[in-house]
Amino acid sequence: MSHDHFDGKSAHDHLIEARSKGAKAMHEHHGTEVTGSVSSALDTAKELTFVLTALYLLLDLFNFHSPQIRMFIYLFSFGYLFWKGGRSALLGWMRLERVHRLIEEEQHEIKSNRDQEKEELTELYQAKGFTGKLLDQVIDVLMADDNRLLEVMLQEELGLTLESYEHPLKQSFGALIGFLSAFVLLTLGEVFAGFYGIFLSGIIVMCATGYLNAKLQNNDTTRSIVWNVATFLLSLGIGYFFSKIVLVWFLA
Amino acid sequence: MTHSHETTFEEFFTSGLDESISPFLTPRSRTWARNLPLRAALLSGLFLLFAYLTSFHSTDLSNLFLLGVFFLSGTPAILHTIEDLKEFEINIDILMTLAAFLSVLIGSQLEGGLLLVLFNFSHAMEDAVSKKAMGALHSLHKLAPTKATVVDESGHIYEKSVKEISVGDHILIRAGEVVPLDGTVAKGNSLVNLVHLTGESVPVSKGPNDVVQAGAMNLDGTLTVSVEKTSAESTLSRIITLIKQAQETKPRLQRFLDRFSKTYATSIITLSFAFALILPWIFHIPYIGLEGSVYRALTFLIAASPCALIIATPTAYLSSISACARSGVLMKGGVTLDALAQCSTIAFDKTGTLTTGDLTCSTLKKASGETTLTEKEALAIAAGLEQHVTHPIGIAICNKAKNENVNSIEAQSFTNVPGFGLEGEVSINGTLHKAFIGNGAFIQKQKQLSLPLSSATSTYLLIDDSVFVFEFSDTLRPRMKEIIQELSSTLSIKTVMLTGDHAESAKNVATLTGIDSFHADLRPEQKLELVEKMNEEGHLAMIGDGINDAPALARATVGISLGQIGSATAIDASDIVLLKDTMTTLPWLVRKAKKTSRIIKQNLTLALGVICLATTPALLGLIPLWLAVILHEGGTVVVGLNSLRLLKKHKVS
Repeated sequence: MSHDHFDGKSAHDHLIEARSKGAKAMHEHHGTEVTGSVSSALDTAKELTFVLTALYLLLDLFNFHSPQIRMFIYLFSFGYLFWKGGRSALLGWMRLERVHRLIEEEQHEIKSNRDQEKEELTELYQAKGFTGKLLDQVIDVLMADDNRLLEVMLQEELGLTLESYEHPLKQSFGALIGFLSAFVLLTLGEVFAGFYGIFLSGIIVMCATGYLNAKLQNNDTTRSIVWNVATFLLSLGIGYFFSKIVLVWFLA
Repeated sequence: MTHSHETTFEEFFTSGLDESISPFLTPRSRTWARNLPLRAALLSGLFLLFAYLTSFHSTDLSNLFLLGVFFLSGTPAILHTIEDLKEFEINIDILMTLAAFLSVLIGSQLEGGLLLVLFNFSHAMEDAVSKKAMGALHSLHKLAPTKATVVDESGHIYEKSVKEISVGDHILIRAGEVVPLDGTVAKGNSLVNLVHLTGESVPVSKGPNDVVQAGAMNLDGTLTVSVEKTSAESTLSRIITLIKQAQETKPRLQRFLDRFSKTYATSIITLSFAFALILPWIFHIPYIGLEGSVYRALTFLIAASPCALIIATPTAYLSSISACARSGVLMKGGVTLDALAQCSTIAFDKTGTLTTGDLTCSTLKKASGETTLTEKEALAIAAGLEQHVTHPIGIAICNKAKNENVNSIEAQSFTNVPGFGLEGEVSINGTLHKAFIGNGAFIQKQKQLSLPLSSATSTYLLIDDSVFVFEFSDTLRPRMKEIIQELSSTLSIKTVMLTGDHAESAKNVATLTGIDSFHADLRPEQKLELVEKMNEEGHLAMIGDGINDAPALARATVGISLGQIGSATAIDASDIVLLKDTMTTLPWLVRKAKKTSRIIKQNLTLALGVICLATTPALLGLIPLWLAVILHEGGTVVVGLNSLRLLKKHKVS
């Protein structure tokens, strides 16, 4: 029977959802290993925005003409699309390979080292407050079914959550969508108002990704947008002024 | 510092999810989060200095450093501004943020950076001093036991969470443990005191059918208590709820600057827009360009947000806070001083606040019997018995013997009867006599006697057939009468005593101290009600030390607690902590608060004067922006020096 606390789900489903939430919260969304297609899309949009705006700014500083800059940006973006999509899929497959290997290793442990596994399981459930006869009964029940035992060990011992990862290709597709959305917006801005257009579009992308990222994680949206935009401006500004200093002091 | 997980979680929640104690961070990396806003403000100040120094050689290098200033100080300012705007609040912070960011448009980014650094620094300082306020309930949660020892029908003893214990369950409370839930004693006798709850350290005897409160400390025996209230309804939970309610309903301390800031910021922003639109019509100047109305309106906006105005209050508050800290007074933010200056009444708790919380043996007299023993010999016998125990009554008797140079008579075969008293044998003139000291019930159990009626704080000595009665009274804090008199006559502050103790004792203390009025027999909720009522009549400062005072301390305009003897909960719920517990700093503190208020008003007048001198010519295009800025900086120095007058600390008389 489901309880209010489980929101209409069974206790088992509720636990899966809770652990998945915990695992998501522990992941760092800074771009090295983005989980899920939506996060991948947002991360790609943000990176593309920074890279294209910075490129435009630097090329303009080094006196390239608008058509040249535009051409350079299109060509660069084409290559960047494959890099982001490919990297996202690759990272997804690497993670999948890693968790598959862990399952294999754990299954091997269960088959060949049953006593040690039983000991580990006893330790785990003792820590949960089970003692005496009840503890023995719980361990016996869990050890009786190898499939269930593997599932329990993966979740309890290794902290893995089953059925919580998206396929690497779906994640890569997310990166593609993020890329295209940001690219269209930035290009439109550039076509209508040159650097100011691309800059304004960049800020819009940063606001939108900051908002969506915060929404996805139930974080404060205002804080996320403001810090996102501030970091974007700081990074652009540092690149611009450094280049200007180098240009005036060393290349003039 | 290492924490157990339990402690970390509790502290973490009550601190408002403070990063420096986040359970998800490694203990070593938590230090990175300590005083982060203050460190960021200092770093941006350093960047600003570099930006200024490099501005003479390279504008690009100067701008590079300014980026750091705008990022570290500008981003928090933007966030504050958005939060204020969300609440439809226009204040000086919004004006300042607007001016700082718009200064970039007219090439005065260094001035903008300076505004941001000053703004960020004053906010970071305020954050740092008021952070402790977040932990108000932590100590109370810590005091309330989370589990209890349950005794089931078959006599089996096991631990259970207090949340799962129902009414009617029996729980075991051993000596030294805190009572986890309200209930009635089913078995056993013991002395308990309410020092954690009320600051009252006098032990009370508890036996079968007596009521014990959650939070009481079991001193000597073991009690089996039948639970009468669940954890959600217990005395401690009720106090936690009262504190929460009091903190939520506490009126936002309205400082003078808040009121001033709203009107000023709205006027300046409106005027800037109006000038940008109207000036071309009056002076026939263009909208855009260096001579244009937009440029002039921006100059006006920036000139109207000078540093002098921004530092007018923080420097005065910080000077006062520093002087107070050096005089043993800690406070949660400068706004507390402003609120204290407005208070017309000060309410005192009795035990531990007006009195020291210790007992003094005031009377010793023979009550019945025909013994030849003198009162001095009775005192020597009582001291001989009481020197084996450490409760306040025993200490008071031993102190009396010591003060009167009476040597105690060593007791043999000493026995402590938990919850009742002591018995032993004493040798008088070579003969052994049985002696008993304790409460009325204990003495009557030994011999059927009619004991004289006396106050709650008295104890009896029975030796042979004779009974001696010892009466105790509260010990007043030193110079309390002079302090109350100074508050009433020199500072025209009304004084009132609020106590949970009985009326007789309250009246006695009121007479001794010369306090204006008193209310006795008050429960925490009644104290809170009275404080709310008095707050409505005029601003009230409340001074207390016990957990039962915490809701009232949180609700009063200003809550003051005593650092050395005050319960952690009272300290957390209060706005000011007197570290030295001497109370002699109180009149000085009130005078300091009033002086701070006066100096802030002077600073604001001065800063406004400078604005008028600078903005009008700047608006008319009579003086350039750099001259306006120099005028501002001059004003800033004068304002800063004026604030430093508050650094004078309390002289110990």
